[in-house]
Amino acid sequence: MQEQKTATLTTVFSEVLADLAFMFTDGDESDMPAGEVWLETVIGYQGAATGTLRLRCTRGFSIRLAANLLGTDADGENVEEQANDSVKEFMNIVCGQFITAVHGTGEVFDLTIPVISELPDTPDLTTGEQQDASVFSADGHLIQLSHLPGELPASVHVQPVAE
Amino acid sequence: MGNNILIVDDSATIRSMMKKIIGMIGLDVGEIYEASNGIQALAHLADHQIAVLLVDINMPTMNGIQLLERMKQNEQLKDIPIVIASTEGSQKRIEQLHELGVAGYVRKPFQPEQLRDVLIPLLGVTQNAGAEDGNLDDGLF
Repeated sequence: MQEQKTATLTTVFSEVLADLAFMFTDGDESDMPAGEVWLETVIGYQGAATGTLRLRCTRGFSIRLAANLLGTDADGENVEEQANDSVKEFMNIVCGQFITAVHGTGEVFDLTIPVISELPDTPDLTTGEQQDASVFSADGHLIQLSHLPGELPASVHVQPVAE
Repeated sequence: MGNNILIVDDSATIRSMMKKIIGMIGLDVGEIYEASNGIQALAHLADHQIAVLLVDINMPTMNGIQLLERMKQNEQLKDIPIVIASTEGSQKRIEQLHELGVAGYVRKPFQPEQLRDVLIPLLGVTQNAGAEDGNLDDGLF
């Protein structure tokens, strides 16, 4: 079940990335980049079920994503400063689509505001026996994407949307 | 002076993309203002004449539903059309939004044509020549 949700998340991520940013995913064939800054973006959802989506990506991916969303080059105006914002908003959209894909449109869910942080070290991306994570590359940038069921981490909180 | 649009979204990227789409679809609009939450939106509404708001739901400080409720309680603001642009896919939530009086809803990501089709009747404008369907990108926003 968890493995299926992780697969669904990966599919949703790939589809939104292609549709919105014209970036394409494939297997985890990319080498671990040396000297890259790694970012972690977390967004939670709460409703009929509770869980968290976690994206680990490089700064390089975030800049490419921002450039494509803004329709400019990686060194274009506003790209650097909007890189983190782009990843957060992208995960917000992925989360909305993932919830619909898994739970349909009959349930109401509240999403947290996405939180992004810089990782102090290069993360271990080996998934081993883990069923909650997948590793792949997007336009040559290595990505780890996880669905973590259960209680929200302390770093995120739901802002109630409607009574 | 007329047909000013206020984009309310905590993501600067989305606000930039929305402005770009509005330009692409060739609607005859006035100024496009930006706010990153409901509080900022209310300040803009106090200072400027706004024809339509494009509002995200999930924002810090004051979210889109809270802004909608505040506007509906205000005699000066209650008739300004609000279009929700959100990742929300729940039919129940969308029905709640319509009960609260939203004028339109587009789900992110969306095609430029979807936004155009929602905005044209609300703004009472026509599409400029040179911005027909064939000139729009196929991409989603």
